[in-house]
Amino acid sequence: MNKVNNNSEDILKIENIEVMYDSVISALHDVSLSVPRGKIVALLGGNGAGKSTTLKAISTMLASERGKVTKGKITYDGTIISNQNPTEMVGLGMVQVLEGRRCFGHLTVEENIITGAYSRKLTNSEMKNELEKIYSYFNRLKDRRKSQAGFTSGGEQQMLAVARAMMAKPKMLLLDEPSMGLAPQLVAEIFKIVKELNTKEGVSILLAEQNTNIALRNSDYGYIIETGNVMLKGTAEELLDNDEVKELYLGISKEGRKNFRDVLREEGNSKEIKSLSKTTNS
Amino acid sequence: MTEFLFFIEVVVAGLLAGTMYSLVALGFVLIYKASSTFNFAQGAMVFFAVLAFVGFMELGLPFFVAFIVTILLMGLVGYCTERMVLKPLMNQSEDTLLMATIGLGFVLEGLAQAAWGVEVRRLDLGIGDFPIQWIIDTFGLFVSALDLTAGLVAAFLIIGLSLLFKYTKMGLGLRAVADDPGAASSIGIPLNNIMLLVWTAAGVVALVAGMMWGARAGVQFALVDLALKALPVLIIGGFSSIPGAIIGGLIIGASEKVLEVYIGPYFGGAIEGWAPYVLAIFFLLYRPEGLFGEKIIRRV
Ligand SMILES: Nc1ncnc2c1ncn2[C@@H]1O[C@H](COP(=O)(O)OP(=O)(O)O)[C@@H](O)[C@H]1O
Ligand SMILES: [Mg+2]
Repeated sequence: MNKVNNNSEDILKIENIEVMYDSVISALHDVSLSVPRGKIVALLGGNGAGKSTTLKAISTMLASERGKVTKGKITYDGTIISNQNPTEMVGLGMVQVLEGRRCFGHLTVEENIITGAYSRKLTNSEMKNELEKIYSYFNRLKDRRKSQAGFTSGGEQQMLAVARAMMAKPKMLLLDEPSMGLAPQLVAEIFKIVKELNTKEGVSILLAEQNTNIALRNSDYGYIIETGNVMLKGTAEELLDNDEVKELYLGISKEGRKNFRDVLREEGNSKEIKSLSKTTNS
Repeated sequence: MTEFLFFIEVVVAGLLAGTMYSLVALGFVLIYKASSTFNFAQGAMVFFAVLAFVGFMELGLPFFVAFIVTILLMGLVGYCTERMVLKPLMNQSEDTLLMATIGLGFVLEGLAQAAWGVEVRRLDLGIGDFPIQWIIDTFGLFVSALDLTAGLVAAFLIIGLSLLFKYTKMGLGLRAVADDPGAASSIGIPLNNIMLLVWTAAGVVALVAGMMWGARAGVQFALVDLALKALPVLIIGGFSSIPGAIIGGLIIGASEKVLEVYIGPYFGGAIEGWAPYVLAIFFLLYRPEGLFGEKIIRRV
């Protein structure tokens, strides 16, 4: 493994990656992004934009779907990601919460949480402490600890998926659409916990979302991708304030929804990635 | 009264024989749970394991040492299968995996015969196939010592494996992989270690079943087909259910003996061979998911 500067400000840096599935289907064309240590970064975009693919490229889960990073470079916490497998990535403190929660339906809620610590060697009393800590963030799960996970609600399953991932003691968490299919109130509750985990546990977070509004309200930075390209990036406030974002992703517009590309094309600069801020510009 | 005692005897003998079917079915279930594939090589594994065991005994190894060495060998078979067959095919369709296990079966059968020859071997476990005096005296029942030993060993193994899966870390990992390999992998459960565990456990189960059958009828190629009796067991019990495998095995064991004894004569005997399949077909028609077939639980 190549070690490079370990104390850089960015825990994750993706430089111009291209991703192909089955060696022919190109899913990402040119994606660059970075996650500063201890921050939350939102990766926004519609269905099929390439959010999940980006996350899986980072966690190395791509290989199990016959996907491959064919160009560019991913550096995580001083390590260049190349041939690692997910187990190794978890060992390095990088855990992905997959889209659709993916809890172990036949296991109890508590067993699910315990599986998250599989990569660690914990004594019984350490395990107990870890569980208590997790339950202090996810109160609801404590009440359901003995229930079979398959029979809990969507919101509980999403919390469970995050709780399970946190048991691996990650430095960095990749969250894929935590709001998917959940009522607004639950979404708010989940984002509140995510934010808490970020501040109290210091875990850096890259979260993919279609729910632009709630994601940006709980993030430090945001990237908007479409058909495998980064279209726009900036701090969360800048993006929330941006007219195009308002119009296209937040639904604050008199006109109908347009494709992001069209707007940029109208402005005659569709090739350029627009950066709204100097700070995130690398 | 003697009529009734005889019936009980038949049922007990059937149940004891059934534990062996349970055991072999358990081997299938383990692999099915971990990789969603029907392991057609399981019969070949039974044959390979017990032939290897007999081979090691013939080399002069003591019983216990030969047993341990064979278990290690089955672990190695599991390891090589994982490395050379399953891992390269990890992301292929389940059909591909199925074909691979058929291929593996031929390889194991070939290897076993190449290494240890084709003639039928005798395996003497030191337990005779005769009734136990103590049981005759107490209950008035004729129960074969070999049947009883086989039943107890199978029960012991099944309980041991169940405890292993319920209470150990690796067992938890296995159950997680059985539910969702992708999610298991995402939190750092090493799929290859789990596969190795599963194949080794299936190998141990195969060895024990092979020894018990081999002690009765000789160690021979027919064991491969005998192991396929697990198929009706699985249809009855459900492919992914451990309790299903156990109960399915007992049902097949008991019913085939009862049918053989009471109905067999009308068919000219020897219906043991096909009666289980008829039973299985009834299940396929009326309860295709099996007794314990799991309803898929998923809520959004
Ligand atoms: N396993 C796969 N095999 C082939 N193509 C895929 C696979 N997964 C995703 N894709 C394609 O890659 C593109 C990006 O998908 P994805 O990353 O899942 O988008 P998002 O998560 O933003 O909805 C889509 O065009 C999708 O069809
Ligand atoms: Mg997605």
